[in-house]
Amino acid sequence: MTWSYPVDPYWMVALKALLVVVGLLTAFAFMTLIERRLLARFQVRMGPNRVGPFGLFQPIADAIKSIFKEDLVVERADKVLFVLAPLLGVVFALLAFGAIPFGPPGSFFGYSPWVVNLDLGLLYLFAVSEMAIYGIFLAGWASGSKYSLLGSLRSSASLISYELGLGLALLAPVLLVGSLNLNDLVNWQKENGWLLLYAFPAFLVYAIAALAEAARTPFDLPEAEQELVGGYHTEYSSIKWALFQMTEYIHFITASALIPTLFLGGWTMPVLEVPYLWMFLKIAFFLFLFIWIRATWFRLRYDQLLRFGWGFLFPVALLWFLVTAFVVALDLPRTYLLYLSALSFLALMGAVLYTPKPVRKGGGA
Amino acid sequence: MSPLEGLALFLLLLSGVLVVTLRNAIHAALALILNFLVLAGVYVALDARFLGFIQIIVYAGAIVVLFLFVIMLLFAAQGEVGFDPLVRSKPLAALLALGVAGALLSGLWGLRPAFTQDLKGGLPQALGPLLYGDWLLVLLAVGFLLMAATVVAVALVQPARPLDALPREEREREVVR
Repeated sequence: MTWSYPVDPYWMVALKALLVVVGLLTAFAFMTLIERRLLARFQVRMGPNRVGPFGLFQPIADAIKSIFKEDLVVERADKVLFVLAPLLGVVFALLAFGAIPFGPPGSFFGYSPWVVNLDLGLLYLFAVSEMAIYGIFLAGWASGSKYSLLGSLRSSASLISYELGLGLALLAPVLLVGSLNLNDLVNWQKENGWLLLYAFPAFLVYAIAALAEAARTPFDLPEAEQELVGGYHTEYSSIKWALFQMTEYIHFITASALIPTLFLGGWTMPVLEVPYLWMFLKIAFFLFLFIWIRATWFRLRYDQLLRFGWGFLFPVALLWFLVTAFVVALDLPRTYLLYLSALSFLALMGAVLYTPKPVRKGGGA
Repeated sequence: MSPLEGLALFLLLLSGVLVVTLRNAIHAALALILNFLVLAGVYVALDARFLGFIQIIVYAGAIVVLFLFVIMLLFAAQGEVGFDPLVRSKPLAALLALGVAGALLSGLWGLRPAFTQDLKGGLPQALGPLLYGDWLLVLLAVGFLLMAATVVAVALVQPARPLDALPREEREREVVR
């Protein structure tokens, strides 16, 4: 099955790219407010509510504050890389969002509602997200401080480890659809049903790994203040620190947009199909879910984090990839995958509901 | 040569020179990343899109990160790297590099396309059957070679275990203890 897509003129692509950048930066500013308000709600307190109605102007106040704070450059820092690192992070974080489709061709005032339509869209996303790691990596090294270096080594090691699980989880959908184009993935789901139903384990692994890639709780080791002061951005202040926050939130928003695109049908919906609407609702759902997780769960210890990535996510993704490859190679009916993935869902539910008696290790009493 | 081709050539040469001349290992690795990114751009412009993205993901992404890890963990990122064990090796190195370049060029000169298939812009759908069909044995051979190289590298750098250095009786006593 192949779908063809119209090609937009360059000025339109540039305009849409600008729109995505401005939109993401605005979304970042207000996500900080939404997250703080929601966290406050989870913890039965008020949250920021002084600046403007319901605290709506808080992001603007924060922006003014962080721009006018003193901008320190550490004496022992590598001056060029120290400035370059946050910029690299933000640029590569912004690049990823453009490949995500928000509707059928022609739904953006007669043009297509995506910035770029790449045959190798998924590979593009991987390339961009791998390059984004350098921002963190260089920030830690260029600061010339031990805490920064340790923090950046930690976070880049965990990012690279989870990148593997992330990539392997995506192989199953790619095998089923037979394309790396994000639009093809969405169209296939429109015709055959959501990939979540065909590949539940892959969805689970992808969602967890995406959480880790965005460095959110329970994987927010760079933020482990009690161990590392502030991780890779310990020495950063003022607008450069804000740029790192921006990078993190843009990764967060992109991850929440990619999960629905890859596994939950993207902008399509079985009932009441309107472009944009469902996509925004799905993004909002995942943003809320991730904030909820942050409010509820604890941070993993570092060795637990790596062991979970390599010892659980990686094998599960590999196993499901093999199962899918088996079905596709022998050309068995795809409904087998539906049953298998429903079975794996039941197994997960069983594992969640079954709580064994805690075993005390060592020491009586 | 179009202006873009000229720019790509200039950037490739410049970043390549920077990789070997920069004193700080981290800066050299960064120049290497720039080199890989420009090379990926050249691949994409030549309609080898899959190769271009793989170049970024594998080389600019994974392998240079590995380099950087090694550099940082060994604290090798200082400007002063101590004395040079190979005195006046630069002319020799230049000569060797020119020789390799000549060998590659002469190889390219005699190259005739082994197959004339439409690769559809270098997409994986067209590359896959070639890689895992016609050229499967070559692929396996290359993979085996790389694995052998890895094993050899690990075996070479493995330090002698302290137990092996001891005489036989003492080793047994150590093991029992």
